[in-house]
Amino acid sequence: MVTLLNKRIRLFRPHTIWIRRVVQWFFFLLIAAIAINHTLAESGAAIPFLANASLHAVCPFGGVETLYTFALSGLMVQKIHDSALVLAGIVLLLSVLFGPVFCGWVCPLGTVQEWVGKLGKKFFKRRYNHFVPKKLDAFLRYARYGILVWVLYVTAASGTLVFESYDPYFALFNFWSTEVAPSALAILGTTLLLSVFVERPWCKYACPYGAVLGITNLFRVFSIKRAESTCKADGACSIMCPMNIEVDTKTVVRDHQCISCLECTSEAICPVAKTVLFTSGGVK
Amino acid sequence: MNLTSKPLAVIVLVLMFGGISFSSVMGWWQTETTKEPATFTEGEFAGMANPADIRGSYTFGDITNSFGIDSQILAQAFGIVTEDPATFAVKELETIYLDSGFEVGTASVRLFVAYYNGLPFDTTGQEIYLPRSATDILFTRNNLSREQIAYLEMFTVNLSEASAPVVEEPATEVHAETEAYVIKGKTIFGELITWGVSQETIEGIIGAPMPDPAMKIKDYATANGLDFETIKPALQAEVDKVIP
Ligand code: SF4
Ligand code: SF4
Repeated sequence: MVTLLNKRIRLFRPHTIWIRRVVQWFFFLLIAAIAINHTLAESGAAIPFLANASLHAVCPFGGVETLYTFALSGLMVQKIHDSALVLAGIVLLLSVLFGPVFCGWVCPLGTVQEWVGKLGKKFFKRRYNHFVPKKLDAFLRYARYGILVWVLYVTAASGTLVFESYDPYFALFNFWSTEVAPSALAILGTTLLLSVFVERPWCKYACPYGAVLGITNLFRVFSIKRAESTCKADGACSIMCPMNIEVDTKTVVRDHQCISCLECTSEAICPVAKTVLFTSGGVK
Repeated sequence: MNLTSKPLAVIVLVLMFGGISFSSVMGWWQTETTKEPATFTEGEFAGMANPADIRGSYTFGDITNSFGIDSQILAQAFGIVTEDPATFAVKELETIYLDSGFEVGTASVRLFVAYYNGLPFDTTGQEIYLPRSATDILFTRNNLSREQIAYLEMFTVNLSEASAPVVEEPATEVHAETEAYVIKGKTIFGELITWGVSQETIEGIIGAPMPDPAMKIKDYATANGLDFETIKPALQAEVDKVIP
């Protein structure tokens, strides 16, 4: 840490939140292991000690999808189990406190998009994640709410998991099985391809669960805050943000797309100590 | 209060796995559907198993346990020929009936079980098909309302062979042919109602209150000392009036 022009500046910054990558890897491997084990169990060769749960049982969005049917009749939508409701509750609590940490730290589909995005960063350098024209991008960011409404409507009306046929998350961990609809595989393929140009395209434009969790950004307890008094206005935080949020123009990030990855904070890219903070209090 | 990445990582892991452990202790962490369906929560059937919660993974034996319907009857209803019907999984129906062009599957079993046991079942906006073998069994139960009979008549599919389901045209389309509106020995009162003959007209002809809609007209005539060959033309004349 050195002091330059009255500002405490770190010379060696980690640039990235490494522990987030560890947590992402952990959940990716866990879900992959559960998905593989579920397939093995069907042929009677399940790995001992590993839960023989279906992918639907460990997906919190299933809990959201079944909510209407559950409230109305006490029944679950086909294929969804009580565990999905439990997970939905836990993730909601996490999100109210810390924003969509599920997206930034846990969701394996988000993780895979980030991994593919690394290729894009290599190819396109600074142009990466800046291809979509601003106006179009701003408009498309609300599309996921339309998808959310559609998913909730068709699930409630049919009592079945209609979204499964379009869900890239289901396709990602089941691409080897015949259960996956070609439409879901196509959406997964498109998502991965787009990830070379845009960071987390599914999350930004289409994910209905991201849409639900995104709402908590408006009132979450811990938020990203920027101290104007110490800010050097170099825009590093905005450049780093995977969701293209202009952190450097805000004092509090209330954007519905923030995924609480902390990559914009002074712990990662922001060069000035205690300037971009993840905090429940105020900053100056 | 400020938070950095490491405590946040710990909180995320602790809340996720702590929450799961807590829910297991409370008995909420169910990653598989138990073979006991949810029960009705209110009304006169409160506490009884709800057919709407039957899953594809249930076997006919599971249904016997929860709803008391013999698996032989279920097998007969759905045209399944097997040594051990109790082990037949409901989800297999979909594959068996795949070529029929009609979706006979878990929803069909739900409907059958509900009607068989006289339990409420919401069919609004749904097209749930049953093979004729299943509808025939339901009609012998004599516990169906007029609306239920009408629904069944609309969505019954005729199988040519019980063991190898080959589904023919649905009853609704068969009705389009005049041949289908001819009263025969197996015609039930419910069919007359579905064809559009009013209850009052029927009562006028048989000279008594409307019998159970699931009853065959011929059986009614025999039981009440009426001549089937006399009331048949009278009823047929009414049918011909309402059929366009
Ligand atoms: S937005 Fe959707 S796909 Fe993206 S990380 Fe969140 S839940 Fe996963
Ligand atoms: S504002 Fe910060 S925490 Fe939110 S998504 Fe962007 S970089 Fe991540």
